[in-house]
Amino acid sequence: MEPVCRPGTALTAAAVIGVAVALSLRSLAKVRVDDAASAAGSALIGPRIRVWYRAALEPAEEWLAANGWSPDALTYAQLALSVLAGWAYATACVFLGGCLVMTAGTLDILDGGLARRRGVPGARGALVDSIADRWAEFATFVGLGALYRDGWMLAVVALAAFGSQMVSYVRARAEGLGLAMATGRAQRPERYVLLGFGSVLSGLVGHLTCVATGRPGHGILSACLVVLAAVSVWTAVERASHAAAALGRDGTP
Amino acid sequence: MTPALARILGFVTLVHGLGLRLDSTWQGTALVVILIGAGLLAWAFAGQAFVSERRER
Repeated sequence: MEPVCRPGTALTAAAVIGVAVALSLRSLAKVRVDDAASAAGSALIGPRIRVWYRAALEPAEEWLAANGWSPDALTYAQLALSVLAGWAYATACVFLGGCLVMTAGTLDILDGGLARRRGVPGARGALVDSIADRWAEFATFVGLGALYRDGWMLAVVALAAFGSQMVSYVRARAEGLGLAMATGRAQRPERYVLLGFGSVLSGLVGHLTCVATGRPGHGILSACLVVLAAVSVWTAVERASHAAAALGRDGTP
Repeated sequence: MTPALARILGFVTLVHGLGLRLDSTWQGTALVVILIGAGLLAWAFAGQAFVSERRER
């Protein structure tokens, strides 16, 4: 598909997102954070934002619970949206890909909340969720790989994909050995935000500047992918070294 | 559907519609999605105003 410049639509989208961000900041300022939530926060996304986002999603969670939706349905919907995001990236629909990544991330948060609300959190749901998450990440990164297939950025995408899978693998392996492992800068929400916001911003800036450049570029998305690759690999290494230190020389926690 | 839920759905639908309009060749579909999103947002804010007014009474 030949890329088309649409600065007018980009301006409208920027205005809609700007209004939503302004309204969000107003309600974010009113959020109170307790000690438990503070402990759960990581370096990139603070506890205040996590608490606010969960509160913002409460009407959706209530509606889903009241209408008998199962958490597994949301997990599969998240997987389907991630496949669509991969397709969007592969066809150079960067803004749309970012929107789909963020919606998929939101469904990933909602399925856990819905399971707790309905009182059905369990080993089976956790297993299905983890497996679907890995497939979802794979689908998205395959799309990004197709977008950057002709340049050195393909290596960055491969590194980001590997780092993201390793962050989850190290945690799963460590927890299998009896260690608690929920630390790190690039956990799943952080990765969703970095990739999602990066793509949305890249799409908007690309369409706004393409009047001068002649075609929408993806410079911001490339920069975000470099950061994502670096932070994911860093987190995986950090977790592995924490786990190794916690196990000690004799291998017991 | 509550106004709060309609606000969330409306925003998500509108942004995805704008994404389709911005990047894809499916311009007709994009317009339909944008209209659904805008309609949901309008309904959400009108519904919110109605609820507030009823509370005041």
